[in-house]
Amino acid sequence: MLSPYGLDIIESCLTCKMRADQIFCDLPEAALQSFEQIKYATAYPKGAILFVEGQAPRGIFVLCKGRVKLSICSTDGKTLILKIAEAGEVLGLSASVSGKPYELTAETIDPCQVNFVKREDFLRFLKEHADACLRVAEQLSEKYNSACREIRSLGLSHSAAEKLAKLLLEWTTKNGEGAKQEPRIKLALTHEEIAQMIGTSRETVTRLFAEMKKRQIVQAKGSTLVIRNKTALKALATT
Amino acid sequence: MQPSCNHCAFRSDRPFCDMSPEATREFDGIKEQAVLGKNALLFAEGRPSRGVYILCEGRAKLSICSESGNRLMLRVAGPGEVLGLGATLSGESYEVTAELLDTAQVVFVKRKDLLKFLRENPSICMEVVRRLSDDLHGAYERVRSIGLSRARRARVQRVRPMAS
Repeated sequence: MLSPYGLDIIESCLTCKMRADQIFCDLPEAALQSFEQIKYATAYPKGAILFVEGQAPRGIFVLCKGRVKLSICSTDGKTLILKIAEAGEVLGLSASVSGKPYELTAETIDPCQVNFVKREDFLRFLKEHADACLRVAEQLSEKYNSACREIRSLGLSHSAAEKLAKLLLEWTTKNGEGAKQEPRIKLALTHEEIAQMIGTSRETVTRLFAEMKKRQIVQAKGSTLVIRNKTALKALATT
Repeated sequence: MQPSCNHCAFRSDRPFCDMSPEATREFDGIKEQAVLGKNALLFAEGRPSRGVYILCEGRAKLSICSESGNRLMLRVAGPGEVLGLGATLSGESYEVTAELLDTAQVVFVKRKDLLKFLRENPSICMEVVRRLSDDLHGAYERVRSIGLSRARRARVQRVRPMAS
């Protein structure tokens, strides 16, 4: 199907090719059939807001394609990005299960396909399908794990340099370049967004990158960052 | 033979423990019960997850640690709580360290047994999902209080009241 954002909309989960790789989507046939009944396939442009923190939970959003920025906000307007969610993740899960307000704000950073499921339908679906329930538990566990990592990095790191170094190292392990002598990272975020990820200001991030370049720890090639001196970066991350 | 959860007086007040008689019988079959002393380490952060611990009584301290050895207290868990749930279900290593604050009775359930038990008892699985959601809410609350307060001093002050 042709769509305005150049997205290939996957209408049915039953014929979805990416299904097998995703924790939540890889459901047994029967569960998938009934999931198909309750979901709404929707497409969003870049910059759309799926839900806002503090809103009463409407339901869950299964991210099929694209990336979504998950952030929290303080009363004085400061933003902290918790995570960039990728295809296969279920968003708004814990709020929908517990009935408490959404604890994060989800905003698309690419054109996205999202499958929405209403809260009541989703809870009924979980009660009927134990398999799906376990998958949901698994997803929640993973989110809990990454929230704990976030707490560790925010609460126990001393300097912004340490947090930035940790973030860069985490990205290299995530994209499979971690073992290489000079890992490369494609920087998909702006300095502002990186600052929001590690809880500092945009100016600090720009200054830190400039310092790292001066010390030959990293080198920028367009939007790709090459880590020239992994040992030095690791040393920065553990100070 | 270990004492059955059926005789536990607190069972009906605790969401996880309040199972049907059949499920309780099955649960009795897979659990290991022990009384551990004060300061006993239930599990340590970074260790591979073996299973979950249920606090029958007493309290446990949950904390995380940085590479340089700084410790951040997350919260104190009370009776009836299930610890190590996230790590056990995802099969990853424990994300926090749990240490008993009192001499307490705990129940341990192995990962393999727990997964099988949850698969056979959807209502308990649902309860587990609810538990995890609450844990996650608490963790995000914590991220907010640590990550968004500007001054370091303000963070430290916010850390303390959470410990209760």
